[in-house]
Amino acid sequence: MTLACESRNLSVAYREDPVLRHVDFRVPTGSVMGIVGPNGAGKSTLIKAMLGLVTPLAGTAEFFGQPLDAVRNRVGYMPQSASVDWDFPTTVIDLAVMGTYGELGWLRRPGKSERARAMAALEQTGMQDFAKRQIGELSGGQRQRAFLARALVQAPDLYFMDEPFQGIDALSQQAMIDVLTGLSASGKTIVIVHHHLGSVLDFCDHVTLLNQSIVAMGRGEDVFTKDNIRAAYDAGNGAEAFLADAG
Amino acid sequence: MTPATVPRPFWPTPGSAKMDPVDFFSNHIFRMVFFGTTTIGLVAGALGAFAYLRKQSLISDVIGHAALPGALLAFLAAVVVFDVSGRSMLLLVVGAIITGTLSALFANAVAARTKIAIDTAMAISLTTFFGLGMLLLRIITNNPFPGKGGIADYLFGNAASITRADLTTSIAIGAVAVFLMIAFWKEFTLRSFDPVLSTMFGFRARVIDTIMFSTIVIAIVIGVKAVGFVLMVAFIVTPPAAARQWTNTLPSMVMLSAAFGGLGSGLGAYISISMGNVPTGPVICLVLFTIFLVSLLASPKRSIIVSAMRRARARKALEAEFMTEGGAS
Repeated sequence: MTLACESRNLSVAYREDPVLRHVDFRVPTGSVMGIVGPNGAGKSTLIKAMLGLVTPLAGTAEFFGQPLDAVRNRVGYMPQSASVDWDFPTTVIDLAVMGTYGELGWLRRPGKSERARAMAALEQTGMQDFAKRQIGELSGGQRQRAFLARALVQAPDLYFMDEPFQGIDALSQQAMIDVLTGLSASGKTIVIVHHHLGSVLDFCDHVTLLNQSIVAMGRGEDVFTKDNIRAAYDAGNGAEAFLADAG
Repeated sequence: MTPATVPRPFWPTPGSAKMDPVDFFSNHIFRMVFFGTTTIGLVAGALGAFAYLRKQSLISDVIGHAALPGALLAFLAAVVVFDVSGRSMLLLVVGAIITGTLSALFANAVAARTKIAIDTAMAISLTTFFGLGMLLLRIITNNPFPGKGGIADYLFGNAASITRADLTTSIAIGAVAVFLMIAFWKEFTLRSFDPVLSTMFGFRARVIDTIMFSTIVIAIVIGVKAVGFVLMVAFIVTPPAAARQWTNTLPSMVMLSAAFGGLGSGLGAYISISMGNVPTGPVICLVLFTIFLVSLLASPKRSIIVSAMRRARARKALEAEFMTEGGAS
């Protein structure tokens, strides 16, 4: 089994409070890995620490067996949507074109072929009709689809997505899941932070249950046991209701 | 033209009510003032757009104040160390660029590495550099340095002092700033809009920030002789805020902001000269504010009047709906 990415002994603290302890996170190439856990479990932090967006206290991360700097263009990241200025004077197509900036490198400008690729990605996410819209004029679901289009333009081999389905409509969610399924079928690896226990297995084949450290990690059906979920969610923290629901 | 008697005249000829454009543009000093301030407005408007988008409009205030010690240190270095005239535009610009850039990078570094918020970091940077500047100013005025006359003008500027050489210097240095902005357009845009993706792509934040703040610093310091460090903030802040009301794409916003800056400055210079003994910088600030006000009120998409009317109409429609529903039941 080859790994698309792995962290070794990764630990992160905000001020003095540890958020992650000794996390050995491994994602097999070609898998769709869901990271699940209660609020404050460190799900987003795990991704950010691996990508160097948060400085870890200890530990390392590798992507395709190499440090991130060697393979930057093969790794994509879709942050939680609230983190940009929606009043920024940019249109949906301009946003998608930004996905090419990494491969262009310093000073080279995007041209016709980059715009064509951006347009194709917008079509893939069903956003082609909104290409000329300013990004603030989009609904929550459209915004996420526009950002997904940008990630598609970048065409990495490994995608990190932080809560991509948060606050979006059913139509957008389905459109995004279709795209993710397509990516997975073409051999891409996807890591998704997800907070909704009930729907994780709808699109993830692997699951990591996280609560500051890894509770369980592996194929979805093996990991998703009552005992594991209880352990991850310290009894009563939303898990009981889910477990009752699932029977 | 006689050197300053009491009170310092802004213009060699007192303004007359009968000033027409032909009179205006046939006067060398008026031409210098007009084209000098237009250049300043154009460059500051264009570069100010990125300060606006970084949500750091007030960084221009920090830079403006921090440019003072740099310009004065350059003056001292020229007079004391190299024994040359300390009043060349190029010299003071170089000094001002160094301390101005340092102040902006210092404020951002403090905000990035500590829990101190950017507004506090900016205020600390501003007051520290400005305090140093005021100290140097006192040292210079208290000592018999050659060519120190009028050096206090760096604070509030004196548009009538723009020479042809100053204008050439402003245009040349301003062109460098605009060129850098165009060359690094993609990097500036991504760093302003999505710093995380910019870092993910491997663009070094410190490199982009240094270039970006340097260009903003250039836009500010070329205005020092004409407008002064204190009022230059208006040239950086106001045009982009007005331009944002009218456009939804970055290229058009930058161009419109430059146009507002250039036109507003030229118009302000013309008005101030026509009115006679009136300082140019402050008049330009008021003209820029007028452009801003009109933009807030009249822009098609974001006008506060139009949105108020739209709300009122929606409320009426809602009330009407209630009335008919009430009548039907």
